[in-house]
Amino acid sequence: MAEHVSTRVNGKRLAEYVGRTVRLVCKVLQFKGDSALVETSDKMQVEVRLSKDARVTDTYVEVVGKVNDATTVTMMACINMGSDLDMELVDFTIETINDPRFLGSIF
Amino acid sequence: MSQQFGSNPYYQNNNTGGGYLTGSPYGGSPSSPGQKTRSAAAQSLRPVKAKQLAAATQAHADAEWKIEDVEVGQVTIVGHLVTIQPQTTNSVYWLDDGTGRVEARHWKGGDEDNDKWGDVSEGTFVRVTGTLKTFNGKRYINATHIRPVKEPMETYFHDLECVYVTHFFRHGPLGQGNEGASSTGTNMSNYTTQASTAHREEWAHLNPVQRAILEFMASVPDDNDEGVHVGAIARAVQGTAGVNDVSISTALDALMDDGRIYTTTDESHFRLS
Repeated sequence: MAEHVSTRVNGKRLAEYVGRTVRLVCKVLQFKGDSALVETSDKMQVEVRLSKDARVTDTYVEVVGKVNDATTVTMMACINMGSDLDMELVDFTIETINDPRFLGSIF
Repeated sequence: MSQQFGSNPYYQNNNTGGGYLTGSPYGGSPSSPGQKTRSAAAQSLRPVKAKQLAAATQAHADAEWKIEDVEVGQVTIVGHLVTIQPQTTNSVYWLDDGTGRVEARHWKGGDEDNDKWGDVSEGTFVRVTGTLKTFNGKRYINATHIRPVKEPMETYFHDLECVYVTHFFRHGPLGQGNEGASSTGTNMSNYTTQASTAHREEWAHLNPVQRAILEFMASVPDDNDEGVHVGAIARAVQGTAGVNDVSISTALDALMDDGRIYTTTDESHFRLS
């Protein structure tokens, strides 16, 4: 099981997850070649290196990827989340997930 | 009718539901084969994360599953559908919900069944409902229902709901301490406090006037079919903050809409449902 863990994170949590797989909920700002500039739920800008078969069609996406460093993520998979996502609530959810009372026991 | 049966010694034990005499030496075990004693939890549906399913425990192969020592019945999970493997007799759905992966198996029924189950696709979020099973030491969800998640926020709602439910089982209902304190603070006798204790949790979300009405109605002896007169209710809840004729009548209407109380002989007599 452990090899398939991909915790949901926001921008500021990325630094805690370097080298691990995460789920980054974000808004796509612009494409630059084979990468994309995205805004996380806590309004930080992160570079996502797109995978070859990536199908990023919506404004909001959940990127499953490996954290290279605090501001870059290499995409493994991508789930389109539509054009309207309550990022404040998503950020609250992410902070709840990362709360020590629940991280480890539920998430 | 029920009073008549109540006086008959052979019917009294029916209230306990098992159909066997509680006083008999066999009282502790189910009397008829195949009729397993089921707890309320077995009929319940709990939102879970894959990690909780991986950590769930079972005393023996037939026992109920437990998460953090709380019995679970059916479970519902929202996850990223990674792969679908259609097989002859069943389909295997691999779900990844960020805390781990879990396999959901659906046993095929007829053709219409396949139509109903065909609208999920790989690389999207789905909600699966079913029961936790093991086969060859591997855990899977025996899925009774699977559907695509159409509202993206449902994915995050599910995370919060899992936190809420787990927190609920760890610490009890929200605001329990405060509610208890404020209710005992009102000038009720020991008897009324006790009478309403059982209901207090389910009334916690009601407004103070509605709660005061229900607490009063639960405290008076329910020995006539006519119920309680609105005048008696009004006098009883007088001390509650925000009470006036309008708020009482609004509260009574709302309680009737909720099905918590009903009118009896006329519009001004009420009984608890």
